[in-house]
Amino acid sequence: MIEYTPQNIRMWSLLGSCGAFGTAASALPEIDKNILILTADLCYYSGLTRFKETYPDKLINVGIAEQNLIGVAAGLAKEGFNPFVTTYASFASLRCADQVKVNMGYMKLPVKLIGLTSGLSVGILGPTHMCTEDIAVMRSIPNITILSPADCTETVKCVLEAAKINSPVYIRLTGSFNNPAVYKKDYDFHLYSADTIKNGDDITIIATGSMVFNSIKAAQILEKRGLNSTVINMHTLKPLDIEIIKKSCKTKLIVTVEEHSIYGGLGAAVSETLGAINRKPKHLIIGISDEYKHAGEYKYLLEQYGLSPEQIAEKIEKSYKET
Amino acid sequence: MNNLEKYTKVFTETFEIPEEEVQSLKYQDIKAWDSVGHMGLVAKLEEAFDIMMETDDIIDLSSFEKGKEILAKYDVEIK
Amino acid sequence: MQNIIKKCNHAANRIRLDIIEMTYSTGSTGAHAGGSLSMAEIMSVLYCAVMKFDEKNPCKENRDRLILSKGHGVMAQYAALKHIGVLTKDDLKTFKKNGSFLYAHPSINPSIGIEFSSGSLGQGLSLGVGTALGLKIKKNFSSKVYVVLGDGECNEGQIWEAAMSASHFKLDNLVVVIDKNRLQYDGETDTILDLEPFEKKWESFGFKTLSVNGHNTQALFDAFNTDHNKQPMCIIAETIKGKGVSFMENQTKWHNCALSKEQYELAIQEIGGAL
Repeated sequence: MIEYTPQNIRMWSLLGSCGAFGTAASALPEIDKNILILTADLCYYSGLTRFKETYPDKLINVGIAEQNLIGVAAGLAKEGFNPFVTTYASFASLRCADQVKVNMGYMKLPVKLIGLTSGLSVGILGPTHMCTEDIAVMRSIPNITILSPADCTETVKCVLEAAKINSPVYIRLTGSFNNPAVYKKDYDFHLYSADTIKNGDDITIIATGSMVFNSIKAAQILEKRGLNSTVINMHTLKPLDIEIIKKSCKTKLIVTVEEHSIYGGLGAAVSETLGAINRKPKHLIIGISDEYKHAGEYKYLLEQYGLSPEQIAEKIEKSYKET
Repeated sequence: MNNLEKYTKVFTETFEIPEEEVQSLKYQDIKAWDSVGHMGLVAKLEEAFDIMMETDDIIDLSSFEKGKEILAKYDVEIK
Repeated sequence: MQNIIKKCNHAANRIRLDIIEMTYSTGSTGAHAGGSLSMAEIMSVLYCAVMKFDEKNPCKENRDRLILSKGHGVMAQYAALKHIGVLTKDDLKTFKKNGSFLYAHPSINPSIGIEFSSGSLGQGLSLGVGTALGLKIKKNFSSKVYVVLGDGECNEGQIWEAAMSASHFKLDNLVVVIDKNRLQYDGETDTILDLEPFEKKWESFGFKTLSVNGHNTQALFDAFNTDHNKQPMCIIAETIKGKGVSFMENQTKWHNCALSKEQYELAIQEIGGAL
């Protein structure tokens, strides 16, 4: 049983998204006896050491072979198992794009794919391990639900919810060790319905993953400058909560913030929706510019790409003044 | 309860071990003090002493003894 | 015993006839006749003599599972499914037609025994490993998993990832059959990307490996019945691409082809003569 105590919430934050996944994983076999976890040599990294000790027969490590990983999971799913699969987001989405397309998209086999360390959190390892493309890839493949939790508590909730879905799911994990908490206590999480964290009349900031926290901070900065923002956590990227985007059209500016390429991600998804609406405000897309920057630590890279709360606030204020 | 008692209790409760085994305990000496147990310990220490630990200190907390030194930085004297 | 072999030989020829019928029915579009014809005996022996498969209930839990990884050879599987009564002659007439459930590459359809979709080469063995693992975890020790690969397909790296994992997990309920017809899209396999020593490769990847004449149903039948305790098995079936139609045999250009009326009639005559 997972308990959303302040101590557990703090512990998941400290562990970061991978560790939070691992903790949630240990609760999965209680939900569904057909749970299996597969990994490509990232058992420890996925926080699964304890899971492996408790359920040695439910942990399948296929070695450093991600393409095979997806196929093996798909075969198991077809035989009635509920497989969760972990690998770096970059390999999950790009290296295995065709395997994901055929097995999860085309055949709709209910594999739950966990993309570890998406975004810039392991940027010190260089662009091979960063992942700023996965939403774009996954979003273009039919039949896959895409989740992007805002913090470690939401990661736990997403994992538990994904276990109940009998169709393919991709969970994008962002942030790192000692991840800031958006939700400091238990809350109601509803798949497919975005969560409005704060209300304001001037601007709507729609954020996903790690950028929800930074957007809340940015909204606080803006508030001191007299601008009130609504902040929305778009934890489900597909299917997208269209209604909340329509409602956002009441404000003068819509901003999307994501630790993902400015192409093909949350910003693109929101603008695709806005395109069909007659009267709509300007839409500012804040995300990773179209370039691979030099390797660096997480915080440094966020600043390099202009994704710190201060930088986000700056960009929003400038854009708002130009409307 | 004084700080030392409080500090010791966090260890005995987190790792479910008797008090006499706590004194010389180091990270990964026992199964329960793995990376997950470590973060559970930090979360409990933070709550017990109402502090927020820095990342470097969280990593440095490698033993029962070392933890005392680290907490001193947060004006928590373990005696 | 002789009866079973006779039945398999007969079925292989029926399969060939239907492959030609299907190919001809696609008109100028054509179909993958060469690599389907080479598989006729593999399919006939699997469906008529080896696999546990209830044509009235293709989803039965204790069935053997057949995964056609070289999806372009699917005409041979459709024809075999027709031969055992899962598909009808009318079904086959819809092959490659708009809206038909008989795609040019298999599309997942357990109700007719198509376990998975394929077409993107190199992925079927991983599915086979997952299926075989799943059967073991479920304690279904009676079902086996058969994965049919092409030799050209073995250019794909994922095949070897999957092969390693099959022996690592000691999948003695998994049998790989390779339709080694020595030709791929651009030419002879040994000139495009040499696979040799092929048998040794599979052996070294932990498979009990046998090479047999892939058009000899008795040899195939014996190979399938070989004991492979605690390890997966690989049967390398030495075949001829386009087998059974003289002008197609060993010709790269018949990988994907359209048949003229004369060619169609000649092919039917040649195969029919063997019936």
